[in-house]
Formats: sequence, structure tokens, C-alpha cells
Amino acid sequence: MGTVLLAALVSGATSGILAVLLVVAERYLADYGTCVVDINGGSKRLEVQGGKTLLATLMQEGIFIPSACGGRGTCAYCKVKVREGGPPVAPTETALLAAADLAASVRLSCQVKVRNGLAIEIPESLFLVKQFTGVVERIRDLTHDIKGLRIRLVDPPAIEFTPGQYVQLETPVYGDNPEPVYRAYSIASPPSDREHVELIVRLAPGGICTTWVFTLLKEGDTIRFNGPHGEFRLSDTDAEMVWIAGGSGMAPFWSIARHMREKGIQRKATYFFGAVKPRDLFLVDELRQLEKELPSFRFVPALSGAEGDGWDGEKGLITDVVGRHVEGGAAKEGYLCGSGGMIDASVKVLVAKGVPQERIYYDKFT
Amino acid sequence: MTPDTPAVGLLVILISAALTDNILLTRFLGMCSYLAISRQIKSSLGLGLAVTFVNTVTCALNAALYRYVLEPLGLHTSLKLILFIVVIAATVQLIEMVIERVSLPLYYALGVFLPLITVNCAILGTSLFMVNKGLDVVQSTVYGLGSGLGWMLAIVLLAGIRQRLKTAQVPRGLEGPGISLIITGIMALAFVAFTGMIQS
Amino acid sequence: MKRDPHLQNVVSRMASGLLSRDGFLGDDPRRLEEILDADNSAVVGLGVTHEALAATLEGIFEKARAGLGTPVPIGGRHVAVHHEAMGRIPCPWGRCGVFPKGEVELADTATGEAIRFTALSIHMIAEHGFYQGRGSRYRLEPAALALFPPAGSTPAGG
Repeated sequence: MGTVLLAALVSGATSGILAVLLVVAERYLADYGTCVVDINGGSKRLEVQGGKTLLATLMQEGIFIPSACGGRGTCAYCKVKVREGGPPVAPTETALLAAADLAASVRLSCQVKVRNGLAIEIPESLFLVKQFTGVVERIRDLTHDIKGLRIRLVDPPAIEFTPGQYVQLETPVYGDNPEPVYRAYSIASPPSDREHVELIVRLAPGGICTTWVFTLLKEGDTIRFNGPHGEFRLSDTDAEMVWIAGGSGMAPFWSIARHMREKGIQRKATYFFGAVKPRDLFLVDELRQLEKELPSFRFVPALSGAEGDGWDGEKGLITDVVGRHVEGGAAKEGYLCGSGGMIDASVKVLVAKGVPQERIYYDKFT
Repeated sequence: MTPDTPAVGLLVILISAALTDNILLTRFLGMCSYLAISRQIKSSLGLGLAVTFVNTVTCALNAALYRYVLEPLGLHTSLKLILFIVVIAATVQLIEMVIERVSLPLYYALGVFLPLITVNCAILGTSLFMVNKGLDVVQSTVYGLGSGLGWMLAIVLLAGIRQRLKTAQVPRGLEGPGISLIITGIMALAFVAFTGMIQS
Repeated sequence: MKRDPHLQNVVSRMASGLLSRDGFLGDDPRRLEEILDADNSAVVGLGVTHEALAATLEGIFEKARAGLGTPVPIGGRHVAVHHEAMGRIPCPWGRCGVFPKGEVELADTATGEAIRFTALSIHMIAEHGFYQGRGSRYRLEPAALALFPPAGSTPAGG
């Protein structure tokens, strides 16, 4: 009997001592206290509870660093310059950051844990990025695989942006998906329509976001996004412009063109839109109408695979069509929106026609 | 050094634990994570180092617990198994927390393997053999170190061999665990060659 | 059976709904290690390498991409079309960076059979020997791939 009690006492005491030791260690080791995050050399100072990632911490404070993967360290969108106080670089970061980034103290904010005071630098434009909630007012089929969304903003009720910018659309959890994901979509509506945002979404096979938009999203549903993001916009000059786009790349140009019509911007622009078959074209009537109202604007749709379809417009690859129409590019500017392949080919043809490389603008989404 | 000095005694313990009495190839303990992690040489090194470290520390702690608490109280036979397990689990947890706080690069290299070590029976096995052999605390520390090094040697060897096997034709159905166990058996036979090394 | 924590991360990232809607394992009941070992055996048995098969696919991919969505003839009896998709997708191994989305569909004009691959699926074949789980849209059988135009030789089509 005595041995049993003694045994119980000793095992209890040993386990107890170890448990206390672990709890004390956890409180001491895992508690990072209050940390000060200094932004842009003191222009903003945040006092935050340490222990979370920089991305999550900033998001809590209302600063939205772009992120497509929700902080899992796989998209490399959330780059932030951490000038001081950053922890050692994690293996997940070395994979996605170029040597130049690391040399300049650029880090992935979703992998940087706030354990002490930090001094960071972020572009001023990020302070204007807000989280928006809206209601889907209209879903329109533009082609067999492209839909147009018209969203009425609820909170905040209005948005300010420069035509050409994009938003990060939140795809909520559905089916077996464990977390929301974010995808970038250019705003297709003009800034004058402050209470609405229009997006053009093209179905991608096996796409998390586009599957949701095409099969689950209904008019009247709540929808969330943050923005505006992006540097793609008209330049300050008056130079003649060559626009090249295909598929959902129409979006920023639809915003810019309508903006130009409203403001009476008479700057000369030729919009080359490339597709394969006639059924891939959309907004053609609206753009022809815009041509009438804005004489400096010209719309040139081109199809590359329309033999025998009764198409009498421009034929061939969009880059070949551009090559036929554009000459003397030294004083012109290029604006591109589309996939990587289209952008590479377009840059090549524009440079060959004399457009200076630094005057060709695009957001490279791929 | 004469054969009877304590230093030589410790050296003998170290070498016998690592080679002649290899915890994995002679005693067949710790096979589970050995088979799983040996796909990559880098991971094997990481896990091996972590096992060595934890083995050394826990063997010493368990020896102290056994010698100074359990034996005097006469509870050594009944409580040693359960208390050894509790000490190992708590030690691993503590080490993980400390490493994450103190050195992130070390945590990414070794720390991620620590949860695998708690359930590695080679660790418990080392402590229990230490009791069988009647080692004191200092000897236990050396024994733990040798045993861990021996385990690390085995897993790194297997990882190297599996790397070479990537371009070899393995009979269907034997890929993965099958061929690994066959190789382990052959390695164990090879390690039998060490038995004559130490005159007991 | 136990698993390397790094590989566990990879497997978690391959689940459906995380990086892509259907993930990379399809409806394959096998573990990732088994899939890798089986495909590796198949490739070794065929006398080729993962890099060689990936290089053939890469050549076809580039040709198709230049077509900007129009069908491009490959060899005598195949046709490749590149379907664009905006955005980038990371490799589930987590240490290899991000890859442009968009797939190439390579069809045999005689039989009508088609295979599909993306920049990411080519990378995973070359770097990780991963051909995706059975049932995945981008699953490629090493045996079929080795025939489809000649692998290991100069990029197909000439």
C-alpha cells in the first residue's frame, strides 16, 4: 500500500514539475510583448501585439499588403522592405525572393513574424488601399467563357481609383476549400461611377475563383475585395497610344476608354483587340459607339483562327496586325494587358516598330 | 592511456554504442522515421542531428532520475518506463520552444523534426538499455551520444544508398519501404563485422 | 507511416482548393511517395530521364505559346493550342517560385486523344519527378509521354 502511494506521489510530482516547467517556458518564450512597427521612416508608427506575421499584423491595422495566397508563403505578392529588426530569412522566402530583393532587405511579409520592433518601408499608395464589401448587382455573359460583373459598393459606399488599376477579389470558402483566396482583376468601370465596380472574369479550367464566379455566384450575393492596386495607367504625356489586349485584358482599357470619353480626352489611341474566333469578341458594339463619340479613338479587333467564319475584319495574330498598322513608333507609347506570351510578343513587335522599351506599359500578371 | 582509465572506458562506450551495438542496425529500434525520412539526405542529416541531441540529453536526465530518485525509493522497476516517456516528451517540447525562440535557422534545419522524435522508440530504447547496463550519469551521457550518432550514421547511409537507387531498376512492388528494409538488413549484416572490435 | 515534415507540407499544399481547385493528386488513393516511386520506376524502365521528358514538353509549350491561342502543328500528326490564364501559381514544394498559369492542349489529330500541361506541371516533372496523381487534369503517364513525340531527341516538329 505504501509503495503504491509513494509511486503515485513520485510520478505525479515528476509530471507536475515538468508540466509547470513547460507552461512557464511557453509564457516566457512565446510572448513577444508589444512591438513598435515604424513605417516609412516614422511617417506612421504602430504599436502592435507581437507574435503574428507582419502581413496579418498590418492587415489588422488596416493596411492591406497585396496577397494572393492568404499568407501561406506561396505567391510572393506580399513583398515589404524590412529595414531594421527583421528575423533571419526563412527557407520559404529564399525560394521566392531574388538575390536583388534580399540584398535590398525586401522580405515576404507573410513569413516575417513580428517578434520585436521593426522599421519597414511600403509604397505610399498602399495606404489608400481599403477593404470593400459590395453586392453583385448584375452578372452578364459577355462570351461563352467570359462574364461581366457589376458590383454595387456597400461598405465603404464609394471607391476612388485611377483607370487601369485592379482590385484583389476575395473568393470565399466553398466546397472543400480550406481558406479564402484572392485574385487580381482590373476594374472595367470608369472612376466617375464611384459607387460601382465592374469586373471582367474569364473562366479558367480548374480555377478556384473563376469556378466560384461561374457556378456559384448569383446576383444579390455579397462580395468582398480590397484595392485599388497597381501602377498601370495613362501617362502624363500627350503621345499617341497603341493599346493591345486579348480576352479579359479588355477590362482596364474599357475603364480607360470610357474615362477618356467622359473627360473629353482627345489623345489619339488605337486599340488592337486580339481573339481567335468571332464568338470570342465582346463589347464590339459599345466600342464602335465609342469610336463615333471620340474621334481620336480607333478600335481594331483581329481574329487569328476565323477562316470560313465570315469575318471580314483584320485577320492574323494580333501582333502581326499591329505590325501592319503601326509605323514610326518613336513618338508613340504602348499599353498592354494580357497573358505573358501576348505581352512578350507585343513588346517585341512594338520595339521593332520603334517604340522605346521604357514607354511600353503593362502590369505583368503572369 | 592505459586500458583502464575512465576516459578509455567512456570511449569504449561511445564506440560500442555507435558501431558494435548500433541501436538501429543491431537492435532494430527507431525504424519508422528512419524509413520515412531517408528519402532525402538533407532531411536525414537534420533528423539525425536532432535525434543525437535529444538522445544525449534525455539519456542523461533519465539516468539522473533513475539513480537519484527512483532507485533510492525502490520504485525503479515499476515507474521507470512511464517516467522515462514523460521526461522524453517534456524535454523535446522544451527544446523545440527554446530553439524556435533562440535561432530560427536552427529551427528550420532541426526543429521541424522534433515532433517526430518524441515517438522515436530508439530514444526510449537508449534510456532502457542504459538501465540494463547499469551506467552512471556521465557514462549515460556518453552512451546517449554514441547511440544517437549510430542512429544518425544508419539513416544517412540509407539516404545515400536510396539516392543512388533513383536511377536503378527496383523490382515492382519493392519501391520505397520494401527495398529500404532489404538494404537495412544487408547493412545490419555488414555491421556485424564490427563485433570483434571491442574486447569486452 | 511517418513522413518527413517538409514532404507533409508539400502534400498539404497539393490538396484541392488550396493552390488550384482540384489540387494535384486527382482521385489517386496512393500516397505521394508511392506515386513518385512508381513514376520514377516507369521512367527508369523506359530508359529516359525526367529532365528529358520535361524538355520535350517545354519545346512544345513554347511553340504553342507563340501561337497566342491559335492551333500550332507539332510533328506530323499533333496540334497544340495554348489557352491563356492570368496569374501565377506557386509550386507546392514551396521552394521553387511561382509559374505563369495557362495550359497547352496537345492533341493527336488521328486519334483525337489529348494531353494537357502547364508551366508548373513541366517544372514538377523536371525538378521533382512528379507527374501528378491519377485523375488530375494534368496527369501525364511517363509511358505515353515517351512516345508522344519522340522524347529525348531534339524538340519535336522540326
